[in-house]
Amino acid sequence: MDWRLALRAVAGFLIGLAIWTFLSPLYDRLVSSVAERTMRAFEKPAVTRLVPAEDNYVTVDRGDFDPRSKRPAISVRDLTFNFILMALLFATAARPFSDRNIGAFLVACVILGITHVVAVITEVMSIYVAKLGPWSLAHYSDLERNVWGVSNHAYRLVLMYAIAFGIWWLTTLAPEAKKTKGKPRRR
Amino acid sequence: MRRAQILFLVKFFLILIVAYLVIAWNPVNDRVIVPFTQGLARSAGAILHVLGEPVTVRGTVVSGSRFGVNINNGCNGVEAMLILLASIVAFPASMKARAVGLILGAIAIQVLNEIRIVTLYLLGAYHPRVFDMFHTAVWQIVIIAAAILFFLAWSSRVVSNGLATRA
Repeated sequence: MDWRLALRAVAGFLIGLAIWTFLSPLYDRLVSSVAERTMRAFEKPAVTRLVPAEDNYVTVDRGDFDPRSKRPAISVRDLTFNFILMALLFATAARPFSDRNIGAFLVACVILGITHVVAVITEVMSIYVAKLGPWSLAHYSDLERNVWGVSNHAYRLVLMYAIAFGIWWLTTLAPEAKKTKGKPRRR
Repeated sequence: MRRAQILFLVKFFLILIVAYLVIAWNPVNDRVIVPFTQGLARSAGAILHVLGEPVTVRGTVVSGSRFGVNINNGCNGVEAMLILLASIVAFPASMKARAVGLILGAIAIQVLNEIRIVTLYLLGAYHPRVFDMFHTAVWQIVIIAAAILFFLAWSSRVVSNGLATRA
């Protein structure tokens, strides 16, 4: 790996980190709002509410919860920081500011945003199926507990990074890499 | 070209999911991953002693008078090793080239991971305000990015040395 590529990677990381840090409060609201609408579209009756709370958390509320019970909360930021990895990968292109790379990055951001909505839904469902005691046991089967629980754990452990890598790989299929002889490139 | 790249991606995700299910299985987690993580904790404890930090290590917990870290799954570098494994195995290359890539990549990831554990302990002890940021976003991305960049460098070398096979 040559030093220019390493430098671009570091710059991409820092830019990605800055964008993620400053836009997270706004972005978290957007993602949780879309996730809430999506969940309610599949619920009968529609009961889920995702309410922005302090410290970058989102409170998970349901219309059929006992008003006296404590509401669980999720950190949307913990599900979205793979954006930084994707920004870093796009920055490693031989010409990071080429129209092609910028266009691919914007498309990748939209796809990544959709996966973030799915990740929030999975996080909320993993709470519903397993973390609400007798209520979870009464409303969901063991199979549902396993499916949502494993999906959530897999996303947090490896899939969130693999998704960022996969989206970058798909949206920047090799033409540019063929021109960069001697540098890390893709077949 | 596009077909080969899409095939690589499909293989990558399949291998990654299978590898994840293997390590997430309780017997494997308890008999392989947890002892491995305890080894990382002991190494980090030894490094911190050399740096003049009086810490004790119990299982996967490294603690001192000012701070303590518990090394859980997601902080032991295994997730980065899975991504490296899936990408190298999915890439069309000779078995020897894959073995060399996996061994060197795993060593590089774990060296970097030891630095992560030690620096996170020191940040928690002396700069607790930035600990969360470094724990959640910075180090996690650095470790995974290192695995991916290592794979890209390895695959480039494999192709240029004629060690690649047909997909």
